[in-house]
Formats: sequence, structure tokens, C-alpha cells
Amino acid sequence: MNRRKALKRTGLLAGATVMAPSLFSLFQACKEEKRVDWQPEFFTQDEAVTIASLLDTILPRTQTPGALDVKADIFIDKVIAHTYDEEGQKSMRADIATFNQQSNKAYGSNFADLNNENKIAFLKEQEANSGKFNPGIWGTTVGDQQPIGFYRSMKSMAIWAYTTSEEIGENVLSYDPVPGVYEPCKPLSEVGNKWSL
Amino acid sequence: MANYNIDAKKEMTYDAIVIGSGISGGWAAKELCEKGLKTLVLERGPLVEHVIDYPTMNLDPWDMDYRGGLTPEQKKKHYKNIRSGWVGQDTEHFWADDESNPYTEEKPFLWLRGHQMGGKSLLWGKQTYRWSDLDFEANAKDGHGIDWPIRYKDLESWYTYVEKFAGISGEALGLPQLPDSHFLPPMELNCVEKHVKSRIEKNFPGRNMTIGRVAHLTQPHNGRGQCQYRNRCSRGCPFGAYFSSNAVTLPAANATGNLTIRPFSIVQSVIYDDKKGKATGVRIIDAETSEDMEFSAKIIFVNASALSTAHILMNSVSDRFENGLGNDSGELGHNLMDHTYRVGAIGKVEGFEDTYYKGRRPNGIYIPRYWNIDENSKSDKFLRGFGYQGGAYRGGNAANKEEFGADFKDELLKPGPWEFFITGFAECLPYHENKISLNKDVLDKWGQPTLTIDAEFKENEKALNKQIQEDAVEMLEKAGVKDVLGFDKEHPPGYGVHEMGTARMGRDPKTSVLNEFNQVHGAKNVFVTDGACMTSSSCVNPSLTYMAITARAADHAVSELKKMNL
Repeated sequence: MNRRKALKRTGLLAGATVMAPSLFSLFQACKEEKRVDWQPEFFTQDEAVTIASLLDTILPRTQTPGALDVKADIFIDKVIAHTYDEEGQKSMRADIATFNQQSNKAYGSNFADLNNENKIAFLKEQEANSGKFNPGIWGTTVGDQQPIGFYRSMKSMAIWAYTTSEEIGENVLSYDPVPGVYEPCKPLSEVGNKWSL
Repeated sequence: MANYNIDAKKEMTYDAIVIGSGISGGWAAKELCEKGLKTLVLERGPLVEHVIDYPTMNLDPWDMDYRGGLTPEQKKKHYKNIRSGWVGQDTEHFWADDESNPYTEEKPFLWLRGHQMGGKSLLWGKQTYRWSDLDFEANAKDGHGIDWPIRYKDLESWYTYVEKFAGISGEALGLPQLPDSHFLPPMELNCVEKHVKSRIEKNFPGRNMTIGRVAHLTQPHNGRGQCQYRNRCSRGCPFGAYFSSNAVTLPAANATGNLTIRPFSIVQSVIYDDKKGKATGVRIIDAETSEDMEFSAKIIFVNASALSTAHILMNSVSDRFENGLGNDSGELGHNLMDHTYRVGAIGKVEGFEDTYYKGRRPNGIYIPRYWNIDENSKSDKFLRGFGYQGGAYRGGNAANKEEFGADFKDELLKPGPWEFFITGFAECLPYHENKISLNKDVLDKWGQPTLTIDAEFKENEKALNKQIQEDAVEMLEKAGVKDVLGFDKEHPPGYGVHEMGTARMGRDPKTSVLNEFNQVHGAKNVFVTDGACMTSSSCVNPSLTYMAITARAADHAVSELKKMNL
């Protein structure tokens, strides 16, 4: 840990962070059975595979890291394990099961086992049938918020997990923990990517 | 090593006791200490020393286990607080424990508390505005509540006094309904805010938009650093760039050598001596050991926050005051007010896609009150008025886009659309029936009676909210904002965190709890200068007025003490 980070942590953050050794966390043990190469705290292996596959489809690796490169799936597992109450965890499991049932019904297998074309077709249907988030101010959404549904909720969570990861937050997005000034009208070209904080 | 003297001697008689160390308590401590009084500050919660006790001040999201998320245990501890939308992993430790400190809602009411040194001055919004005679004369003019015993001229020099020390940035407008402060340079509006401002001011003569007037330093001030635009204020600011008791008033009080601050001191009651006709001290329970203790003093400032201050006075019964200290009028605990909250409009602004900003400005825009300020602006639908806060930023919710995959991810890394919102704060009338009362059936962790809160917004506030939303939608649409969504979260009182009125000032002891110098009627050496003292609520954020009233009352207290009148 460098000096800046040591300073930053000022004695909070007790305990180690769960980190899997390999970068690519989804691999195929044999043709039929996919497994993740880390030990989920909340998800079953099947659920973890579904989430990993979904995250990888929404936020794939390009010139920049993908969701799995920054371990967004491992983080989401941890968040559900440690911040959801029992009821929330139960409905998360039910939602993943329903998601796979839908994919089975439409394309004959669980989401993770669909070919790329069918994954895209299936998610396009999910996009069309999924509620949208109302805008928010000051820590809460406003207006008459309709139910969101599993797909968009998980997509939102994936975006959150991705953009708040250290790799994306510090090295891909524009990172400036202590701006020092407010420049109210700055050409976007002078900033580049959006601010991470 | 503690920088504060926390060794309060039981047998020792202090010159002054201050109950509470938030915005008004901190000011009382500073003023009394600087005037030479040996002062004991009693704080219900732990010490929070500036910088030393800001554990999350420099954490990035990825430094926190759940990047802001709360565990089920934390959610249980804050089961009421979390309704505010403000409590996260980064500030959880600065919000009071709802489980140990229960309260009963006869009608829905959110009571947000900060039980630590500095109180809610660590967490507040820093919006700081002077009130005007439009506010101080309001009750007298329309007959609601009772008349304020003071006017703007009584506070004007005290506003200047506290502003010079605290450091308030803002833009002078010369408006009678929102008097200018003694300002540090204003923060700046961004391009979209400037654009919307010009459209609104052109289309709606008499409506002004300005940068929020805030207790944030825009240049170094009295040894404190200027704002670094991190917008991590509520975790505690290592630069001391915003006003908190911890960074500003308590260090000043401490520097005099006259301050003792005793943490974990839950004030049970103020001790009143029927023979002497005044208060002689304060009874506390040590929050850690549950031990009962008493401290004596010549004067006592009760600054525990509006509801807790009234709670303490209601607990302070004697033969002379059977219904609570200073409660001859029966008004103690009544006339509870707050501002309405989260009602306004939001939309998207097009045409500024190549423009961005640098820095996370902990401030937004302000639109001062424009209804019922003169004959031409009279409404036949409601009394009093409202002001707006708001702002423009690049946001949006990428999850809503009906896209995913490589291109979607690349787009995600670019700033989202410009959004602009305004949200109103409406004045609440003082209603006698909006009240708190002692609840002896529900006890807190220390076996003490708790509060039952019975308050609601009524027809006038609802009419104001309706106008807030209508005007907000109209202004945004006329300004060219797209996809305008009007909203009203219909929050009950409490969400505005501007509780006021539970021990109001007045001229007549038969209808008020405090006199024009914030002295309790019948116990002149007890002063109340927090939100409890407010006779009406204005639509304007109240904290700066608490500061000015406190400094004025402390000056009066010491002068009276010297004349042997207390």
C-alpha cells in the first residue's frame, strides 16, 4: 500500500478484501458445466455464472476493462451477502431463477449457456420490458416510480460496481480526489472521460 | 491525546453551562468563553475532534467495503434515519442511533439527530441566509402565531458579527426580502445554470437566480483553508472549509482556556431553585456508566436542538414549574415547524454537450422568495412564501438506456446529459396543535421518557407546495428545459431538518416561553437559542439566524451577569 492510500484509510477498513487470483473469472470446466473460479458468499455456482455472464454481456471487455475484469460480479456477491436483509436475498434468488426460466422458455437454456446472438436477442427483450428509473435529487428518486424489475436493477448495479471500482475510478474515468477549484464551464475535451467522483 | 479539557469536576461551579455543541451551542460556548466565563459544554455523544475524528474524510468509493452501502445491522440502528436518503457508510457514525433513542410518531415525522460533539453542524447543508422583516413581521401581519419580540434591526449587527467569523460566501443582490450578508466571494454558476438563469429572469420579472449563499470558504479565512471542491463535507472537512462547531467555534472557545467539554453527558433536566427563582445547574446521566451527576452554573444555555431542548425543559419540573421549566404559557413543546421539502421540477438541458466542469461544488443555485413580498406579488391561495434551491450537473441514469454491450460501455465512460432541477422550501405556519409531548411509556436506553411527536403540514403548506411545483415546471419549461418532470415527495415534517418553534420567543409570558433576549420567562438565567426559540419559520434556512441570535443572547447574558441581574 502506498503512502497516499495508507493515509486515506486512516484506520477504517479493517479486515481483508476478498480478491480472486485470476482476472477472468468465468471459465468452462467442461462443455455442460460452467463455474466461476472464486468462492461466492451469497450466490450459488449457477447464480454466479448467470450474473457473471450477464455482466459480461452488458459491460464486455473492449480497449477498456470489462465488468468481470474489475470483479464487478464478486463485488455484487459481497454486497448482497452483507447489505441485503433476508427478504432481499430471497427475492434476488427468485429473480435470477425467473430470469433463467425466461431464457429457457425463449431460447432453450439458461442465460449463460445461450450463444451470443441469443443472449443479445434475449437482453433486447428484457430492455423493452423493463421499467426505468425516475430522475433523482438529493439521495432519492422523484415522481411516480414504477417497478423496475430484475434486469434493469442488475444492470444498474453492474454500472455502479463497474464505475466505482478502483481500476475504472482511478485509471479509466477522470479521477481528481482534490480538485482544489471549481471551473464552472470547462471544455469537455480538456477533461476527457467523465469524472469518477 | 485529547486537545480538549474533558475533565469536568463535579463539585465545581461553572460560570456557564451550555447544553449541546451543535451550531448554536458551539456559538454560545465561543462567545461565553471569549467573554471570560468558565464554561462547561455538555455533549450527549462522543468527542469529535476536528480532522482527527473524521475517519471517512478521504475515502474513495472503492475504499469502503460496500462503497456506501449499509449492513442490515446498520439499517436497523438507523431504521428511521435512512428514510432521509442521507445515511451511508461514509456518514453513518454521525447520525444518532434510532434504536437507543426512540421516539413515537403520532403522525409521520422524521427526526434526524446528530449525537456527537458538533451535532448536526457536521452534516448540515451550509445554506446561510439572513432573514428579513418580511419574516419577523409575518405573524403580526397575518395573525398566525404571536409576534416576534425582535425585528431585523435587532439582529443586523449580529448577523454581520457571526458572518465575519464563520465566513459566508455569496452574491449581494440588494433584495429587501433576502438581505445581503457580509460576503466572501461567491462560488460560480456553471454554463447551464447561467443559461437557465437568464431565461428565467427574462421570462419572469421579479424572480432572481443566484448562487447559494453558503458557509463554505472561497478564500482562506481566520486560519482555515478554502473549499477544495471535493463535496465530502458531511464526513468532516480536513481543510475546515465549511462551518462546523468542530472546525470553527469550539476550537475558538478552547483557545481561551475557559472551556471544558464533557462528552457522553445526557442532560436529564435543568435544576430550578424555587426560592432563588432561578436555575442553579444541570442534572445529567453519564451515557457510558449511567451514573447521575449534577453541575452548577450561574447561567445555562440550552442548545440541544429544537425538540431536545423542549424535551429537557419539559423534564425540568419543580414546585414552581409543574409543567416544565418556563411553561407558564402552556406553549412549551408546541408550535413545531419545519420547511416543506423535495417538491419542485427536474428536466434535461440540451446544447451544452461540449461543456463540462471541474470540481464538485458543494452548493447550487438559489431563487429567493417572490410571492407575497409586496402588494403586486400577493397570492389569494396561500400566506407567506417559498424559495428554491437547485442546480445543473451532468448526470442521467445510464441504466435507463435501452442498450448494452461494447458501445454502451464506451458511452458510459462519457458524461451523461445535463440535468437541471429546483426544489422548494416553503414556510410552515406556527400551529399550536403541532407539538411534542413526554412519553413515559416508551423509555430510551437510559430509562428516560422519550418524545411523542404530533405534527403535520396543513392546508397553507399544501397550497404553497402546489404553487412550488406549478411554478417550477413553468419556469423550467420557459427556460427551454426538456422532459420536465414536476414532483412532490409529500414528505411529512422533519425531512427539511429545520425543526423550530417548540419554546418560542415573545413579548408576553402568557403566550411564549422566552423573552426578546431568549431568556426563559420565570428563569432569566436560562437561555434557549436553538431552533426551539423561533416564533415563525420563514421560508429561509434558519441556521445563520440561530448563530446571530445566540451571539446576541450571550452578549446580553454576560452583560446582565456583570450587572448582577442574573
